Amino acid sequence: MRPGSRLAAAWAVLPNLTVRARDDQREQAVLHRLACWAGTFTSDVCCLPPQTLLLEVAASLRLFGGAAALFERVVNGCAEQGFEPRAALAPTPLAAQWLAAAGDAVPCLHPDELPARLDKLPLAVLPITAPRLSRLHGFGACSLADVLRLPRAGLARRLGADLVADLARARGELPDPRPRFVFPERFAERLEFPAGVENASALGFAGRRLLAVLCGWLTARVAGIRTCVFEFEHEPRADRFPVSVLSLGFAGATRDVDRMAHALLERLPRFELPAAVVAIVLRADTSEALPGRTAGLFGERGTVAGADSLALLAERLQSRLGPGAVHGLAMVAEHRPEKASRRVTPPPPSPGASAIEPTRGARPLWLLAQPRMLREEAGRPHCGGPLRLLTGPERIESGWWDADEPGAVGDVRRDYFIALSVRAEWLWIFRGREGWFLHGMFA
Amino acid sequence: MAAPAGTLSPPTLRQILERPDVWRGDALAGTRLPGVPTGFAELDGELPGGGWPRGGLIELLPICDGVGELSLLLPALARVSNDELSWLVCIAPPYSLHAPAWSAGGVDLSRLLVAGASGHDAAWACERSLVAEGVGAVVAWLPDARSTVLRRLQLAAENSRTLLFVFRPALCASQPSPASLRLLLAGEGDQLRVRLLKRRGNACATPVLIAVQRPVPLGHALAGSSTSAPAARRLSQSAVA
Repeated sequence: MRPGSRLAAAWAVLPNLTVRARDDQREQAVLHRLACWAGTFTSDVCCLPPQTLLLEVAASLRLFGGAAALFERVVNGCAEQGFEPRAALAPTPLAAQWLAAAGDAVPCLHPDELPARLDKLPLAVLPITAPRLSRLHGFGACSLADVLRLPRAGLARRLGADLVADLARARGELPDPRPRFVFPERFAERLEFPAGVENASALGFAGRRLLAVLCGWLTARVAGIRTCVFEFEHEPRADRFPVSVLSLGFAGATRDVDRMAHALLERLPRFELPAAVVAIVLRADTSEALPGRTAGLFGERGTVAGADSLALLAERLQSRLGPGAVHGLAMVAEHRPEKASRRVTPPPPSPGASAIEPTRGARPLWLLAQPRMLREEAGRPHCGGPLRLLTGPERIESGWWDADEPGAVGDVRRDYFIALSVRAEWLWIFRGREGWFLHGMFA
Repeated sequence: MAAPAGTLSPPTLRQILERPDVWRGDALAGTRLPGVPTGFAELDGELPGGGWPRGGLIELLPICDGVGELSLLLPALARVSNDELSWLVCIAPPYSLHAPAWSAGGVDLSRLLVAGASGHDAAWACERSLVAEGVGAVVAWLPDARSTVLRRLQLAAENSRTLLFVFRPALCASQPSPASLRLLLAGEGDQLRVRLLKRRGNACATPVLIAVQRPVPLGHALAGSSTSAPAARRLSQSAVA
């Protein structure tokens, strides 16, 4: 088949041909998504619709370990995004475009080797119309080398000045500035499935693709996010477009794709979807500045070893156990035991923050969530047998200020004792208005 | 066992006996890593490696809650948290942790993470914490853990440098367990009686008595229980009045 032939002719040759209308809008969306993703490698991206993406990578070569390594990562990354790129690396943008069009994937690194590489290219890579191309063939030219050998003035008169200028730009003889791709202020990318998906692992796979795009966008903006939102679109049913929303939160600002993907993969199996998913949208509205980390010069480990991985651990635990289940502890300067210990969101405050004078009396390691009432026999508290009071009383009388607030501990008047049970349990009990209560254990 | 090409001589008995996972039945096993001192010399002497062994599951079976099972761990936890500057993770604690007491016990609260979980989630959280970098000790309460779960945790612990303490009810003492160290804990006066149910090496027949930190010494108790209760009553009634 050739481009330009009629559909009827195509069907005559290939009866089983499946025909799909070209959707420019979706093509542009894909190119936009890839441009965002390319932010992983450089902030200088140029988007050339309908199907070309230019990455200026001169400044990124060292960071990614050389041109060959970088080139490989870009190509592999494209494959992970689900595309098979025709990629090329060259000192000028036009040369890279032409090499890619010719399918020459060997990186061209030096401007010196550029003319030789360009010479070998076929004429089909040139951006000219078919009649002009046939004229060039009429001149006896078969490759770019033949064209370059022709006198420039005559070439410009016969085929237009554009072609001559393009040839000069490709060889680096004329400057070739390109418009930069502007990374959007807010991130929202959509990924469609060819058919409804119900499998959590397939959703995770697609979600990871979108997260890689998000990380490219964040890298280019030198930013990190704390929250992002996945929207799972279901098949439209009776004029409704049901959407399930899954929000991911992170302990600190991040742009680490593995970390985000972990959080997603932990959440997905427990996330209930009412129907098959036809598309995923990933949104990130607020991002905050997150400078890159300086790599260690001597291969040393960070001075705060583990602080980073601990945040990761807390996040992973949280994503499976639920948001309130993982916490740190902090002391509060309060006399009422219920209030003296406070749950804090991990990571806990830095060591200097908890400079609170310790209480004088002994405090138990365990505190019961609610004081448990104890039986009283012959004036003595019982807990599986009579209790032996060891020290006390330590009076705690405090809290009049929140007596009327709902859910507060309120005004307490208690006499605390340390008691030993017959089973050798060391207990912290108190006597209040209603009798004896067990409040803690010196475990 | 196939020897790699080049080293044709088979390992000698001596070399085999030097391996940390091989030990004689009449002596304490050696360990690859030195143990973390427990803070109690009597107990250190009975443990392989001279302390809480790293790279293995340590199973603690208290007779009941509140006999001093945490006080037994506190010196080691304080060392992990303060000297090694690593993190302490508590998983599925049965009650709330009272911050002032943990702080007074020497644990740096800024390096403490508490995760509430149940069933399989708790075991999963243990496994994740063991592989995380920067975690020095994991203390978990797994009352319903099956032996397959414990075996999995033991394997995870073997690949890690992190201390792993698992609390289970004393009823489990009769069940077999893959843990490398098992201790049965009971209170005795103001001491703690520790029976070593299982350790690598020879069996320990006699229980070890350990003077763990108690809130008050027993000798300084209120003068006799008969007088203390009325005294308490009088005081508290005056408080209520």
